[in-house]
Amino acid sequence: MRRAVLAAAVLLACASLVAAQAGKELKSRVETRAVRVVPMIDSSLPGFGLQFADLPPGPAKDTAEYACLTCHSADVLRQQRLSERQWAAAVTKMNGWGADVPEAKRDELIAYLVKNFGPDNDRFKPVVTRPIGR
Amino acid sequence: MNRRSLLAGAAAASGAALFARFGRLVGADIPAARRRLLQVNGYPVDAETPLDVLTTYLTPNDLFFVRHHWVPLFPDPERWKLTIDGDVSRPVELTIADLKKLPEASVTSVLQCAENGRGHFKPYIPGVQWSDGAVGNARWTGARVKDVLAKAGLKRGVKHLHTLGSDKPPLRVPPFHRSLDIEKALEDGVIAYEMNGEPLPEEHGAPARLVVPGWSGNHWMKWLVRLAPRPAAQKGFYMDVSYRFPKKPGAPGVVFTPEEMAPVTELPVKSSITTYPERTKAGAPAAVAGFAFSGAGEIAKVEISVDDGATWKAAALGQDHDRFAWRLWSHTFTPHAPGKVRLLARATDSRGGVQPREAVWNQNGYFHSGWQAVEIEVDA
Repeated sequence: MRRAVLAAAVLLACASLVAAQAGKELKSRVETRAVRVVPMIDSSLPGFGLQFADLPPGPAKDTAEYACLTCHSADVLRQQRLSERQWAAAVTKMNGWGADVPEAKRDELIAYLVKNFGPDNDRFKPVVTRPIGR
Repeated sequence: MNRRSLLAGAAAASGAALFARFGRLVGADIPAARRRLLQVNGYPVDAETPLDVLTTYLTPNDLFFVRHHWVPLFPDPERWKLTIDGDVSRPVELTIADLKKLPEASVTSVLQCAENGRGHFKPYIPGVQWSDGAVGNARWTGARVKDVLAKAGLKRGVKHLHTLGSDKPPLRVPPFHRSLDIEKALEDGVIAYEMNGEPLPEEHGAPARLVVPGWSGNHWMKWLVRLAPRPAAQKGFYMDVSYRFPKKPGAPGVVFTPEEMAPVTELPVKSSITTYPERTKAGAPAAVAGFAFSGAGEIAKVEISVDDGATWKAAALGQDHDRFAWRLWSHTFTPHAPGKVRLLARATDSRGGVQPREAVWNQNGYFHSGWQAVEIEVDA
């Protein structure tokens, strides 16, 4: 795997050198500018803004997906460490902003959020991504 | 030396400086293995810069933190227009070409999200749980707000500049309508179309965003489409509930009323540690480094403590500095005995503001500026 990554990195470096050279020749006819040297990156990392978290299993998973994921990915839920009172307030706020939480499902949803993303939730890790546009 | 050679020399010097700042050298010494972002939300995308990346005076554009409220539709630069209306003599619409005809202005400034460090507050606070990397330092270039507003002519009695970007909230989420003190906007504000010498990237508000040096990121409207000077401040969720900070500190966990708070504006003095060894040997010098900034003015000093703040030693300040920019600092620390060392940094600004041990707890989790601590294991 390590060898394949290295080979891919070398190939990428060669390709960008060739592309940079072609760009340099093209540009030098019309204008004189410093050629940007694009620094290498760890190409095994996922692209920026391309990976979203899932919600954990549970009775209110469907309700949470339907109500919450229209506007934001599950990552922002997974990183919360909120008490029942805080989750109830958050659900009320989001309800007012258009999140569709049927009254009959509200308590179940709050219980699901508290169980998974309560004050002792320490499982969240950000996604390590490549730099923007790379 | 005649006038022409002096001019040529000045041009060459500024060209070299420009190359040094905006050419291949912006953040070029950040190694490949560290070139990464920490994405805390997939959509809308929110991502912070790991502290070990923030080791250069200017933060490279592709490693600069990103904060989006909603999934934005990036404006088409060809069709983009900035409308200036409200209490003005003649409402105007400016294209990007119109903006570029105005005198060019540049400012090097820290951009910090008001929420930076929210994840450190206890009791925990809802929202994006930022660690310490929703901050960066860049050279912003564009037209002065003063020159742009002069095209429209301000009426008497205007005190606030209302601002609007093109990103639209989903469902019934309130719009990100904002306003700021017009004096600040006229004095320091820039409508930037370049970041570190490159066209402003889409993620950072292309084709143009507001730059409010020294003030928190919520004032720096991205994808700017409208400016409206008015006698009164904007109203709504993002003015009256959000982006407010306690006028006086309270007890952690005790919620403040809107009247007990004022809008977040000037960045409090803060330092962060970006470089330190996790492990070292007793008697061996260890390099520690970081950055410090303050919305109130330049950084006067940064100090290091290894005895929980009982005594402090001054760090060396980096050469590069600008009024609203951050200042890099470095320090060599030699541990004398094996064990665990808890190293702290605190900054003081030119107005005398000293970074506090503890940040002021507030229900929105803004302006976390307490002392950062790192742990260093010292072997015999």
